[in-house]
Amino acid sequence: MTNSKRARELARQQAELAARQRERRIFLLVSIAVVVAIIGGGIGFQAWRTHRAPVVASTPGTTAAPVQVTAGRPLRLGADGAPVTITLYEDFHCPHCASFEEEFGPTITAAQDKGTAAIELYPMAFIDDGSYAAANAMACAAEAGFGRAYYLGLFANHTLAWNDDQLIALAGKVTADPGAAFRTCVARKAHKDWVDSINAAADADKVAKTPTMLVDSQPVDIATLTLEALQSMIDKAATS
Amino acid sequence: MPWVSTAARLVLAGVFITAGVLKAANPQDSVATVRAYELLPGSLATIVGWGLPFAEIALGLLLAVGLFTRAVAVGTVVLLAVFLAGIASAAVRGLSIDCGCFGRGGALPPGQAHYGRELLRDVGLALLAAWLIWRPTCLLCLDRWHREDIA
Repeated sequence: MTNSKRARELARQQAELAARQRERRIFLLVSIAVVVAIIGGGIGFQAWRTHRAPVVASTPGTTAAPVQVTAGRPLRLGADGAPVTITLYEDFHCPHCASFEEEFGPTITAAQDKGTAAIELYPMAFIDDGSYAAANAMACAAEAGFGRAYYLGLFANHTLAWNDDQLIALAGKVTADPGAAFRTCVARKAHKDWVDSINAAADADKVAKTPTMLVDSQPVDIATLTLEALQSMIDKAATS
Repeated sequence: MPWVSTAARLVLAGVFITAGVLKAANPQDSVATVRAYELLPGSLATIVGWGLPFAEIALGLLLAVGLFTRAVAVGTVVLLAVFLAGIASAAVRGLSIDCGCFGRGGALPPGQAHYGRELLRDVGLALLAAWLIWRPTCLLCLDRWHREDIA
């Protein structure tokens, strides 16, 4: 009976097709679920990473005296008599500033510790609200006398969003007692106008990008800078 | 020609997974990169900055195993078209930014942007993806196990 044979063959093919289609549907659903899980999980993961508490930052050996916050003027971090002045224009959320700090920060910190160099910091705020809050908190910290440690802490935790809770928690990590004045200063954005004045000052100085560095008022090309070159620049400026 | 498709698929997979992982490493950089295009409002830029790298990783993984290659290739072309439009619009608006395609984007000094190079690379990748839409069949594809229209 060829007819029944053919019918059986047809039925077998149909069953096979149906099985394949079922398999394809399962693959499709699983793929979609995996993609959604990766993207959703990723967003959740990044939200956690940017909003968690700051980690401990290394604290520089010397504690600086409270720094005067003056409109349009940078924060001076380092010994008063330091012969070399390193001027830095940075945004605490600028990606290149974070890599600059990672590479050259230790050399600059060492020069500050030795009393050779002081930083004149222009904490600019142009990337987001976090930059702004961090720049304000930086001024609050400098005023409270732990500006240097706070500066290092901000860059050590540069992946954070910088809401007020994180900025206050960071102070607790870099100094024994930040004080109530610091917390109020952060929460009320007490140096809001000063941050605006720093942005305006950087504009007036024709700062086109961050980070921008000057050693004793001489612009330094960060793109081609090496650690040795920076060290000899500092040494030379210190002896001249 | 199945080897051409396999090669195109694996090159795209490698590029997207690399780009995604490099960008996902630093969420703050990634958000700053998206903001630098000045195209999306703040909160949306944040979500895109966080999610896009993982979307790239997911796309790369699908390409790597070769599942639903034609549909995934269509998605790849669409994503690359969005990237191309973003970079082109930055160039047209006279912004000076790094595309941040592989992380660490954002503002560059005036005149230091490399839009031509970035556009050319994305066009090349889009051509590879277009090839996959045309010839999705390939060796070493999971697709092969459950698709009937294999040549």
